Amino acid sequence: MNRDEAKNILLLYRHGTADADDPQIAEALVLAKLDPELARWLEAHCARQLVLREKFRQITAPIGLKEQIISEQAAQQRMNYWRQKFALAAMAALVLLMAFAAFWLSPRGHDDTLAIYQNRMVGVALRGYTMDLLTNNSEPIRAYLAQNHAPADFVLPAALKKTALAGCAVEGWQGAKVSMICFRTGKPLAPGGQSDLWLFVVDRASVRGLPAGSLPQFSKVNRLITATWTEGDRLYLLGTEGDEQMLKQYL
Amino acid sequence: MADSLDFESLVARFYEPLYQFAFSLTRDEADACDLVQQSFCIWANKGHQLRDASKVKTWLFTTLHREFLVVRRKQTRFSHVDLDTAEEELPSVPPATVNRHDTAQVLAALSRLDEIYQAPVALFYLQDWSYNEIAASLDVPLGTVKSRLARGLGRLHELLTVNKMEPPNQINL
Repeated sequence: MNRDEAKNILLLYRHGTADADDPQIAEALVLAKLDPELARWLEAHCARQLVLREKFRQITAPIGLKEQIISEQAAQQRMNYWRQKFALAAMAALVLLMAFAAFWLSPRGHDDTLAIYQNRMVGVALRGYTMDLLTNNSEPIRAYLAQNHAPADFVLPAALKKTALAGCAVEGWQGAKVSMICFRTGKPLAPGGQSDLWLFVVDRASVRGLPAGSLPQFSKVNRLITATWTEGDRLYLLGTEGDEQMLKQYL
Repeated sequence: MADSLDFESLVARFYEPLYQFAFSLTRDEADACDLVQQSFCIWANKGHQLRDASKVKTWLFTTLHREFLVVRRKQTRFSHVDLDTAEEELPSVPPATVNRHDTAQVLAALSRLDEIYQAPVALFYLQDWSYNEIAASLDVPLGTVKSRLARGLGRLHELLTVNKMEPPNQINL
């Protein structure tokens, strides 16, 4: 290493730091001890470095910077806290909304059982309905139901064929069309009533839990006595106010 | 990590040296304050990712320098100087000459250096870091840092000689 090379290396030397541990600088420092001219240069260089170092370190942070950083961070944290709270609340609301939507819109696993079907149809008969077609003739009824994609090929029991028709309506059940055929038994009707015997016909595949066999099964549903049976690919539900014996007159 | 170093004590320990570094790069108080604040803000959000507590200081300086470069490059397009350009002669600047300059002049001279030399030179004088630590904080290899320091220091000393020191143009972020 010659003098110029040593100067190049010692340019990076800061007196009093770990720079002297660098092997190249250590070697150059040894050379400076042996070379008076290099030693003088080094002394001047160190003094210059010291002065420059002091100049840089005279930079002082403005008063209040520390407090400003801390207070702004605290404010930011508060904002983040409320932002997170709001996001969580919004997410919870969304989840609830989706749960409700899923509950109301999606097909429910246990809602397509026979008992629920019976309840729903009896509810239609009891809570008021509007017949789409008022007629005592079966042909227009079948034509109307067929036109509206509801079961129209239903088979009426012999006794029911003789019962006076009042009209029909189309109801819905789990996406399937239900034919509602309304009869009059001849008894006095309730005020505002248009019929007192109702037959609901639906595709049997749309109702789960059907009884085996095709014989009518009787059950009381709400105020109505009902008879349920299957024939072909149809499920029939006949209901009226009264008792089983009375209903059997129409089967 | 974030739990072991609470934010306030971290700010108390490092805001001053970070400000010195930021100011030496920007020469503008508001810009320097913004850089320091931004660095601590980044720490508050990402500091937990740092596993080694001993590297907090280096991490903060690295972050500040990156932020400085990001902001600066948005505003100015700099020409790059090849590191392999011809060696410059070492200036001979007597200490008395240097001593006549105040901090503002020294920083003005620093601002005239090419961008790649400014940060290493500032850290060289502001921190008693080893070259390895300077290299780590600037995210460049050790050899590159030494090379940039040699050229940056040489050029700074040259600018600080009386004849070559002219009123600098203020460069703000």
